[in-house]
Amino acid sequence: MASLRNAVRRREHKERSQPSERARFGLLEKHKDYVLRAKDFHRKEKTIQTLQEKALTKNPDEFYHRMISTKTVNGVHRPKSLAKQYTQEELLLMKTQDVKYILCKAQSEQKKVDRLQAVLHGLDKARENQHSYFAENGDEVNEMRGNLTNGEAPSSSSDLPLEVNRDREAAYNELAQRKERLEKLKSMVITMSMQKEIMGKGRKRKMKSDELVTPSSMPVFKWRNERKK
Amino acid sequence: MRGRGGGGRGGRDGGGRGRGRGRGGGRDGGGRSGGRGFGRGGGRGGRGGGMKGGAKVSLEPHRHEGIFIAKAKDDALVTRNLVPGESVYGEKRITVEADGEKVEYRVWNPFRSKLAAAVLGGVDNIWIKPGSRVLYLGAASGTTVSHVSDVIGPTGIVYAVEFSHRCGRDLVNMAKKRTNVIPIIEDARHPARYRMLVGMVDVIFADVAQPDQARIIALNAHSFLKADGKFVMSIKANCIDSTAPPEAVFAQEVAKLQQEKFKPYEQVTLEPFERDHACVVGAYRASKKPKAPSAA
Repeated sequence: MASLRNAVRRREHKERSQPSERARFGLLEKHKDYVLRAKDFHRKEKTIQTLQEKALTKNPDEFYHRMISTKTVNGVHRPKSLAKQYTQEELLLMKTQDVKYILCKAQSEQKKVDRLQAVLHGLDKARENQHSYFAENGDEVNEMRGNLTNGEAPSSSSDLPLEVNRDREAAYNELAQRKERLEKLKSMVITMSMQKEIMGKGRKRKMKSDELVTPSSMPVFKWRNERKK
Repeated sequence: MRGRGGGGRGGRDGGGRGRGRGRGGGRDGGGRSGGRGFGRGGGRGGRGGGMKGGAKVSLEPHRHEGIFIAKAKDDALVTRNLVPGESVYGEKRITVEADGEKVEYRVWNPFRSKLAAAVLGGVDNIWIKPGSRVLYLGAASGTTVSHVSDVIGPTGIVYAVEFSHRCGRDLVNMAKKRTNVIPIIEDARHPARYRMLVGMVDVIFADVAQPDQARIIALNAHSFLKADGKFVMSIKANCIDSTAPPEAVFAQEVAKLQQEKFKPYEQVTLEPFERDHACVVGAYRASKKPKAPSAA
């Protein structure tokens, strides 16, 4: 029967359009349009309500260190950049010198640091390690407390001539400076070799911060797998 | 004791700093001087080159017998060189004149030797002193062994066990010049293989860095260590269990030792020199009386 009924031509119902005198209101709204509009309205209404509630129940004493360490720009929170800041001098070196030259300098600095460290043992300095004792019972603990020797420096330099002490002081200074320079050079080598890799072959893209499993201060790139043969 | 800093520098580090100084000026004249960046930096001492002639050296004994402290331009733990005029691994030597007699000392680098790091870490007693008989497990190239040999002196004896032939070659070469070192190229897990060479010892020092190092020490102690003998063990947390926190690994190793009739006395971490390392000192089959307090 249904097929018969379909065979009979019926009158085509056309969708009602906006009357011409109301054309200034745009398209005539139908029920499905209304549903969409209503849903959107209620969603916004709910958001506003939640925000109002949050504002009312706000704790005025709430404080996070991020509030002072970072800023909002035009109402958008900008997390602090983790990228390393190089000095002008370092940037100049990185721009003008070859990575291998910097690497060579870093290695030479490492040698010098090792050589100095071999004879500067920091005997007068406070120890930074942990020293623990093992005891089986309370008596042993008390006895051990009595003869603790930890923390005392093994020697003093007071009886040495002034110039010798001054020389040693200078040697420690040199070591500290060389260590600092070594750190800088190493960091520059890493950055420069990274830049070279990025400029090189292969399709790659920078990973977004939320894609990283372990966050890093350096930018992370991912190369597309390429079939070699 | 006070004397003159001696010319004895090791072959490897000889004149390293002096050289850099002499060349600097000439090269800077070239076109690249703009890129030199950090410059030479301050803090270079008045004279070039370490403890070369003329520097006053103050030498005083350390709390541990057989170890000394040299103070001059450098600030170093030293041992009295048993073979004057020879460096073992390119370390610096210091000659001191006392009562018209020249005595040579060798700098003991704590970055290369865990025992030196433990001494600088303030361990109360290393039990290795002049005349001691020491079984040294994990001798490697013999850098620390040479210093142990200096400490114990000609009356003591050190049996140095190392498994690797490559390291063992250096060890044997070192032992040729030091009569109190007996090199043994064997697996420390099988003490029976070298039982004919080793007598009873007073101290076992172990730096084997193996997951079963407590068992290795126990096996050797059962065979060679006298009752109430002492052990010094260095633990590298990464070699035992790289996932657990180091403190847990140290505690676990100490617990293993306690099951094997060892009684640990103290433990120091080797912080500025090594990361996640500890040195445990204790006694084997200790008598009831607790250890004598060490004189500070």
